[in-house]
Amino acid sequence: MKYRYILFIGLAAVLFACQPELDDFSTSQGSADFSTYVALGNSLTAGYADGSLYRTSQLNSYPSILAEQFKKAGGGNFVQPLMNGEYGILPGKLKLGYSTDCLGTTGLSPLPSNGALDAITPLGYQVNNLGVPGAKSFHLLAQGYGDMAGIGVYANPYYARFASSALSTVVGDAIAMMPTFYTLWIGNNDVLYYAIAGGVGDTITGQSTFTFAMNTIVMGLASTGAKGAIANIPDITGIPFFTTIPSNGYVVSQNQADSLNMFLGGYGFHYEAGPNYFIIEDANAPLGFRQMVAGELLLLTLPQDSLKCAYWGGFNPILQIPVAIPGQYVLTNDEILNIENAVVGYNATIESLANQYDLAYIDMNAKMQDLSDEIITNGVTLNAEFVTGNAFSLDGIHLTPMGYAYIANEFIRGINSKYGSTLPVVSLTDYQSVILP
Amino acid sequence: MRKITLLMLLFSMATFSLWAGGYQVRLQGQKQTGIGLIGTPFAFGASSIFYNPGSLSFMKEEYSLSGGVSAINSNVIFREKDSDYIARTNNKLSTPFYFYGATKVIDDLSVGVGVYTPFGSSTTWDDDWHGRYLIQNIALSAIFIQPTVSYKIKDIIGIGAGLSIVLGSVDLNQKLPAPVNGEVNLNGKSTALGFNIGGYFRPNEKFNIGIDYRSNVNMKVEDGDTKFTNIPTALASDFPPTGKFNAELPLPANLDFGLSYQLTEKFLLAAEMNYVFWSAYDSLIIDFKENNETLQDSRNPREYSNSLIFRLGGEYKFTEKLIARAGVYYDPTPTNEDYFTPETVSLDQFAFTLGLSYLPVKGLSIDLSYLQLEGLESDKNYSPENFAGTYKTRAFIPGIGLSYNF
Repeated sequence: MKYRYILFIGLAAVLFACQPELDDFSTSQGSADFSTYVALGNSLTAGYADGSLYRTSQLNSYPSILAEQFKKAGGGNFVQPLMNGEYGILPGKLKLGYSTDCLGTTGLSPLPSNGALDAITPLGYQVNNLGVPGAKSFHLLAQGYGDMAGIGVYANPYYARFASSALSTVVGDAIAMMPTFYTLWIGNNDVLYYAIAGGVGDTITGQSTFTFAMNTIVMGLASTGAKGAIANIPDITGIPFFTTIPSNGYVVSQNQADSLNMFLGGYGFHYEAGPNYFIIEDANAPLGFRQMVAGELLLLTLPQDSLKCAYWGGFNPILQIPVAIPGQYVLTNDEILNIENAVVGYNATIESLANQYDLAYIDMNAKMQDLSDEIITNGVTLNAEFVTGNAFSLDGIHLTPMGYAYIANEFIRGINSKYGSTLPVVSLTDYQSVILP
Repeated sequence: MRKITLLMLLFSMATFSLWAGGYQVRLQGQKQTGIGLIGTPFAFGASSIFYNPGSLSFMKEEYSLSGGVSAINSNVIFREKDSDYIARTNNKLSTPFYFYGATKVIDDLSVGVGVYTPFGSSTTWDDDWHGRYLIQNIALSAIFIQPTVSYKIKDIIGIGAGLSIVLGSVDLNQKLPAPVNGEVNLNGKSTALGFNIGGYFRPNEKFNIGIDYRSNVNMKVEDGDTKFTNIPTALASDFPPTGKFNAELPLPANLDFGLSYQLTEKFLLAAEMNYVFWSAYDSLIIDFKENNETLQDSRNPREYSNSLIFRLGGEYKFTEKLIARAGVYYDPTPTNEDYFTPETVSLDQFAFTLGLSYLPVKGLSIDLSYLQLEGLESDKNYSPENFAGTYKTRAFIPGIGLSYNF
């Protein structure tokens, strides 16, 4: 009787269980141990975006996103050196707004966004996210880099906030956390600072310096017994900071082209009706200036009003002279080659370290190339288009929360592949990009 | 802003596609529903107007009336690929109904009219679900009105035909991905024509054969209403608050072939095959009347394939007043591997049915049915938008009807 009763309930359950069920995703840590995770790197690791490191951007840093996923597989608490406010410790945050240019045309562009800054004071606690905006590879080993007294001279205010002492190093502080797992993504600034200075005013870190620094960093982290993931350096010339302003944006009529050709044609300049390459400074050119050539890049910092109204890159018809764009706003092909060669060398170092120390190796160079080309996921498109491409923030260099989520997923895939873990990826649709007004 | 054009390809949801695949459930007669949705080899009276106009002329009494309603409770579960994210639909109950009336003009000639809703459903996902840029929610209805004539020859062969006037409507919502971060609503109505022809063959009292062909109905929405909301000011000129669109979707033709055999006095066995001409659904095109650089027409591949459904059912007559029915069928998905969208979660489906008829007085039948559909767990992807994951579905559909022959 009882048996029949159970059978009846069982039948009723089959008939009327209206919800279908799927097994939950099975999360596991594999051979990794995520209980104490530290992240080392530069501004990209810190969560820098829109020309600033601010609270919301930090909350969307890729290490923060990673740590949330790690928590599903034994990961512990993840402390970040969070700002209190939305403007960071230094001015320069950007927001999208309307402005009117010298021609009287109103349009959307990134504008300074001023608000109350956080004070640069020691936080007084250890942090898991040791990403330091501005840091080059060797800075992670530099004593005094977090010295409050040295800010503006030899120290970095971002590191000074959480440095354990005036003489501590970033790597030393990371080791002091006794990590079980780390991620390391450093070296971008070793070429980026040269690039965003237009190849003038900063130098590319030499290969031997880079190799020595990376070896020392990884050896130090390995001494803790922690496992980890290391990412290589993307080709920075594909980011919106360098691709937004076209190098051939000088538009002329047929008449103008004819007279320009008559005037400058003898020096290798060439003009046609329509868009033409801008004129740039070049000390090696016979005239000290020349036309840009295919592949050369203009920086996002180039004042566009000067292009539009001060004849930059073109010809001043009043004074009857060509006006060259200053070299600080230009990456010439020689400079680009310098950058590319350095990145190739850096990445060889990083890959061999990954092999030597048996780390998860994240080919971020390839993954950022994919992102710049186009990634479509869940109906959202990401690419390197400035403002509307969803991946890059308003500074054209750093990423949006959606872009950082993409980076986090690539770390997760690499870690799963290396350590046999099954960490779930995040959905990019849960993260924001540039918000249009 | 050029790239937003690509984002606009997100108009990837079909306005009508819930009519498709697993949701084409033929709940047009509770007796037929109970016996595995087999209908062509039967002469149950007025409901033959839908299932097989050829058998309508075999109605026994001078008048036949039949009406009923079903309650579709369907649920979908989705788990995103490589993720621990799970979503479920929050579908409203949808209630397809039918009503048929038929009469004998002369003994061998019957005429009738049916009003029925063979396609109609709703899919509602949560507002912030991860597929919101493909579909947020969609509600459809289609009412078929079908005047029908049927003629029989020597109580052996029946032929019949009906003309279907189809009134359709659709209402759907979709979120627009960043950087737009807005929403779109499409709402439209359509009127279309189709036909339904059938043949019925009864070589002896025990053995019946039915064949039926229902034509493709091309549902065209003309001048449907487009509404864009929550559009950033910066893009307001590209997404006008109100506009018009055209779209069309084929409701595919069906070719049905069924057999029934009276094994014993009490027990009848039946089988049916339905060939559904799904390949007519190649793509969904949303043609916005006012295009601009950002807002382009959207062409969304579907590339359905024809499918073949197998059905098996039986009927047992306990007494003259109580008849029980049961059936099973298998309905393979017509969807394409690369173009599986969450607006039409049509999986390979296995279904079973139960039915009961009670006849309290002569000529009156109270018909109950129960249908349960199990969409088999499967990994799917909509590759144009890279929306991938695992789906599973379940629907349970109780129904009640009355028929009266006098």
